[in-house]
Amino acid sequence: MRVVILCSSPYSETGCAVTARLAQLGYVPVGALTLASWDRSTLLRKLGQWGLHDSLHYAVAKLVPGKSTLQKQMLNPYLERALRHGDGIFRGLREVARAYGFPVVTCGDQNSPRAVAQLKQWSPDLAIFTGGNILRDEVLKVPRLGILNSHLALLPEIRGMSSPEWSLLCGVPLGITIHFMDSGIDTGPIVLRREFARAADCDALADLRNRMIAEGIELIAEAVAGLDLGTITAIPQADREKDCQFFVMHEQLKAVATRRLKEGRLKNDRLKNDRLKNDRLNPVTGACDGSGGHDG
Amino acid sequence: MNSPESSSSRNFMTTRTVRVLTEAAGLLRAPQRVIPLFSKLASDALRMTFEHRHLYSYAAATIRTADALRSVVGWILSAQRAGGGIAAYYSFLTGYSESYPEVTGYIIPTLYDFGRLTGDEAARDAAERATDWLLSLQMPSGAFPGGLHGHDSGAQPSVFNTGQILQGLVRAFVETHTETRNAEILERAVAAGDWLAAIQQADGSWTGQAAYQGVAHTYYSMVAWALAQLAAESRDPRHAAAADRNNDWVLAHVQPSGWIDGINLRGHPAYLHFIAYAIQGTLECGILRRRDDAIQAAAKAAWVLLRKFETHKRLLGTYEPGFSGGQNFSCLTGNAQMSCVWLRLFEVTGDLRYLNAALKMNEMLKQLLPVRGRRGVVGGVAGSYPIWGAYQRMRFISWGCKFLADALMLEQRLTRQFETKFETKSEASECAS
Repeated sequence: MRVVILCSSPYSETGCAVTARLAQLGYVPVGALTLASWDRSTLLRKLGQWGLHDSLHYAVAKLVPGKSTLQKQMLNPYLERALRHGDGIFRGLREVARAYGFPVVTCGDQNSPRAVAQLKQWSPDLAIFTGGNILRDEVLKVPRLGILNSHLALLPEIRGMSSPEWSLLCGVPLGITIHFMDSGIDTGPIVLRREFARAADCDALADLRNRMIAEGIELIAEAVAGLDLGTITAIPQADREKDCQFFVMHEQLKAVATRRLKEGRLKNDRLKNDRLKNDRLNPVTGACDGSGGHDG
Repeated sequence: MNSPESSSSRNFMTTRTVRVLTEAAGLLRAPQRVIPLFSKLASDALRMTFEHRHLYSYAAATIRTADALRSVVGWILSAQRAGGGIAAYYSFLTGYSESYPEVTGYIIPTLYDFGRLTGDEAARDAAERATDWLLSLQMPSGAFPGGLHGHDSGAQPSVFNTGQILQGLVRAFVETHTETRNAEILERAVAAGDWLAAIQQADGSWTGQAAYQGVAHTYYSMVAWALAQLAAESRDPRHAAAADRNNDWVLAHVQPSGWIDGINLRGHPAYLHFIAYAIQGTLECGILRRRDDAIQAAAKAAWVLLRKFETHKRLLGTYEPGFSGGQNFSCLTGNAQMSCVWLRLFEVTGDLRYLNAALKMNEMLKQLLPVRGRRGVVGGVAGSYPIWGAYQRMRFISWGCKFLADALMLEQRLTRQFETKFETKSEASECAS
């Protein structure tokens, strides 16, 4: 299987982790196409997404690792498994490329004729999108099977941006969907769709998002293997025309989503305590006697 | 022989030239306005240079909603003239304008809402004085005059002004508890409503001399809304029927793209302000008259604009038919109106995406409010951003303040309701568990 990685920056942690994880599993990409790291629009986007403090922290961790711990070098601590390399971690796509031997090509726009020509030259069976531009048809149709994306919500219920936050606010179960990209926003055929069961362990939205990204990478690996072996078939989305697109969430609504997340965590703690109590009462079966917790 | 088009274009050019000369003379008469003018020009130019909004961002303001609201209503109160009318605008070049009956009318509900929300007696007093002033302008036919108070056009009855003033009268009637005054206001409001119903065309539109430029406009859905409000108080089926007829006529102009055709302003582009009027009137009339078709039509148009706003983080100042493109500036009044529309759609449908967009729009509008400066500037909503944009250039306009105040009050009420509902829901589910 010839796999290509599409990345928003050579220093994209998620892009790096996806690439490294696939390579660990034997799917070494034939190439990676990335936007330039010092691209003005990328920098502005990251500043808008993370704020000045986190952006600076990220830049320092990637460019000047010094003697900081591995954890401090990662923005998302749950990516350690994928990023770990010898005694250290991969800090950029080029380090992964050097370790596994594949080319990294930088472009200003993933839809540009030069980028399309490069993709065609690699003649991929499959591409994995980890970030970058909104892809046009010309790019979408280059890989034989298509371009995979990991979406941090269940499709078709929640499409678009701030998807974990919107799932919390709309009462849709948290989940991850691996799907092929098409010309719509998150409307392509679904390859894998799985509920995210560990929300109750999360204490903040950023933590939730980080865990979901890490789980999304494992699902991408599973999807690539499944498509390679022919054990997975993509299913077109039933409600393709339904407008389920969501947009960046305002801070005031994020605060409510955070409360809902904490509420779930509280409930889960209570549930665990009740179970523990019941286990003590009935150590043989470990079953609830009816007075134990239910999710309500 | 001159064609009507060339004559109308000549009139337009003459009006424009007169306006430019008047404004230039205004600045010569009051040169102290030069400093605030240049300061505003410089601040907008700077902001335009450094502002780079993108898909992932929205402008977050440092000013609290309650403070912004107080500031905007403060601008309205300071624009009220001795007689009770409210000035149309404060121009950097010519200062305050004369009172504007139309805007004075539909600012009345805003003032009462603010009075209720904050207990501010000054706002209630201002609303009462505005009502008295408007009642003094009513024509024997029940109509109200068009244009600015004291101008020549003031002698002509105007459908749109009558409709907008009717909104204020209906609200004043609801808020007034003295029996004789209450009866008088209702009687005057009914007279205005009767006049509107009497001169309405069979198809539900308003044309002829009392309509702007003599032609029918779909943004007169605002008049239908006022009639629907009146019908709720007067219980007169004629008023309800007139509102429904216009609603039907407007709905016949809705295009598959969601665009409401028939704004029909000769010599002007379709400013967002008028597009938003058409949507808002259709929506509010639909809500009052319990018409799903009208609510759906308004929601469709509002959703197109929401997507544009979320994707580009701003709305254009004008749009071509089908929302296909327009002029590159912001019509701040139109933005505030769209915020009101989205908030009401959230209230009606419960779709949080409308609330989300409105919160972001309000952030953007709060950020552009002047927090310091002379009277007429501080707390004012400019016609355009940047201030030299095509809509109400170099002016702070009273109807912009009205719609922003409405949007901020709606935001406060609905976010409070939403958070309370969320808390109640959480508690209920806790109890269930």
